[in-house]
Amino acid sequence: MNTRLENTVVRIAFDAMGGYNAPQAVVKAAARASLEHSFHCVLVGDGSQLDPLLQNETHNPEKLSIHHAAGVISLGSRPDQALGGVGDTSIERAAALLGSDQVDALVTAGNAGVATLAIKRHVPMLQGIRRAAIAAVIPTPRRRGAKKDPFCLLLDVGASVHTEAEDLSSFAVMGAAYARCISENPRPTVALLSVSREADVGPDWVVRAHRLLAGRAVDEHFEFIGNIEGHQLLSGEADVVVCDGFTGNITVRLLEGMADAAVDIAKAAYEKKLSWRLGLSMLSGGLEQLRRLTDWEQYGGAPLLGFQKPVLVTHSGSGERALVNAARVAARAVREGLVAQIQGKLG
Amino acid sequence: MKRDSKRVEHVFRWDLDKTYLDTDFDKVADLVKTAFQKAEEKRTIPGAGALLRALLAEVPETRRAVYFISGSPRQMRKVLEKKLEIDGIRPDAFVLKPNLQNLLLLRFRALRGQLGYKLRALLDHQPAELDGVPETLFGDDAEQDAVIYSIYAEVLAGRIRGDRLSRLLQSANVYSGDAKAILARVEAMPHQDRVRRIFIKLDRKSPPGRFRPYMPRLVPVYNYFQAALVLFQDSLLTANDVVAISLDMIENDGYNPFALTNSMQDVVRRGHLAAETIQNIGRSLLADYAVDEIARRFLDEFAGRIEALHGYQAELPEPSHEEVDYVSLLEEELSARKRHKQQQRLADRLGKSGLF
Repeated sequence: MNTRLENTVVRIAFDAMGGYNAPQAVVKAAARASLEHSFHCVLVGDGSQLDPLLQNETHNPEKLSIHHAAGVISLGSRPDQALGGVGDTSIERAAALLGSDQVDALVTAGNAGVATLAIKRHVPMLQGIRRAAIAAVIPTPRRRGAKKDPFCLLLDVGASVHTEAEDLSSFAVMGAAYARCISENPRPTVALLSVSREADVGPDWVVRAHRLLAGRAVDEHFEFIGNIEGHQLLSGEADVVVCDGFTGNITVRLLEGMADAAVDIAKAAYEKKLSWRLGLSMLSGGLEQLRRLTDWEQYGGAPLLGFQKPVLVTHSGSGERALVNAARVAARAVREGLVAQIQGKLG
Repeated sequence: MKRDSKRVEHVFRWDLDKTYLDTDFDKVADLVKTAFQKAEEKRTIPGAGALLRALLAEVPETRRAVYFISGSPRQMRKVLEKKLEIDGIRPDAFVLKPNLQNLLLLRFRALRGQLGYKLRALLDHQPAELDGVPETLFGDDAEQDAVIYSIYAEVLAGRIRGDRLSRLLQSANVYSGDAKAILARVEAMPHQDRVRRIFIKLDRKSPPGRFRPYMPRLVPVYNYFQAALVLFQDSLLTANDVVAISLDMIENDGYNPFALTNSMQDVVRRGHLAAETIQNIGRSLLADYAVDEIARRFLDEFAGRIEALHGYQAELPEPSHEEVDYVSLLEEELSARKRHKQQQRLADRLGKSGLF
């Protein structure tokens, strides 16, 4: 046998039991990815549930395998309790595969807190990083990077509740590296989310983070533009916006709620008056464009940054399309050496 | 001992297009291209040549026979025979469809239909030397091979005959002349349950669950490495043959060890291959050779994929001796074919529209 047996394949693990639509949507996603993409998929979960589903899907088994794990964690579980109670869960097993280099990246639609804790147990963090961050995409009118992506990155949105100034500074480096790698944005702008544009207004950790970022030597890889306020997040003033996980999580949940509320209001208006119905019909082209812009499924998932392996956390309600897109982004992160790029910038 | 005077110990019957040859005939343009291809231009499906050569390898006392029964027109005989010669395959018989004759006699149903032609050809090619000889059949999911081969196996075993066979042929719109010939042939034959295994190459990536009614005798395979593993289990190949086939696929068709180990896990998971078979292959190779570092890693990768299942394996249905409704199965196969064509047309249209 010759050296062509060396590994040149990107392997993506799917937490097959994670998310409201698991395992059906995850199996469908892996089946579709096996037909459409070059990376290999590893479905981690209960084989007795996964295999019968797979046998009724069109798929390519040359690029797909199953790794059995019997336990399941419910979405509402507390991370420490969830991983303490059930031994062999899909996320714990997937994290172990990632930590032992048996897969190259991981996609999960399960409980983000549980996923972060499980990965922390098996995958080392990057040097100089104390806390992980989840980077969510926020749709904006401005397009950025070579790919003209219509979104900015907001991180952290929930991986770490307590953060210090040094953590926010590392989030800025990690977010900028991600924007460079995935959105092909050569020098992204980075801002801190605060209550004021003034550098010395806001909580202590934000004021100190501002000092740290502003005090950096001129960086050819990103440009720190100072603080931005909440309303500027949606206007897309910065390519990467940094905050603590508590603030970030509330922000994205609020935005999701607003989007849902807007749809509900429009529906109610449509049913109430003929003139409103006509108005909405006339706006339908623009509304469709807006829907496409805010269609989170097309962005795949949010990268969990800070670990030595790429991890994509997707919405718990993710369907086949979102999961395939998340896996595609994860594979790209592996091929482009995202983790090494981030580590390089951290020094 | 001369090859032809040796006792036949096993017979393999192969379909040609999409089973042995990588042929496109879904569109008219593909059909035209296929018709004008030279032997050297025809592509063998990855691993098919290596598998067939291994199955037909010379042994001292006995031999194995191979019959090709194809839906390709007789006018292509020369080119196809040359292609097999290039691949080092010498068939015992090479049956092609009389499409021109069917056209001239306005037998349009015979042009499209496969059951009448294939079943008759399978039953007609039963020389005395095959009496009692076990058979392994190879077909694909592009035509109706799964149902035709299964009917053939049941006919040989004497479980489908007389009125039941007559009704079946009638429902498949087989011309009465062909039906009469088939029925007469069946009545004159000894009943022998000889078909050990049917392999269906999933050219269209049909979900394997679709073939459950034909299991456990039928094994849907995505590639010929999977078939090689099952044939090792059936004692028709050695561990060295399996390695040779996998190396052929790696060297000539760009397969990688992960694709092969995934394929192995798939066929184990589906219940067609015992996990111990993989251990036996490993043991056999370790006993025969001083296995090098890369080969050892390959074997470790295999062991890892088996361990990953933690003992999970689907249960295959028991062989059914109850009457299987082959009429419905034939209809299902036909509608699956129609669905595929519709999907392909839609995909082509979407492709042309620039939406994808």
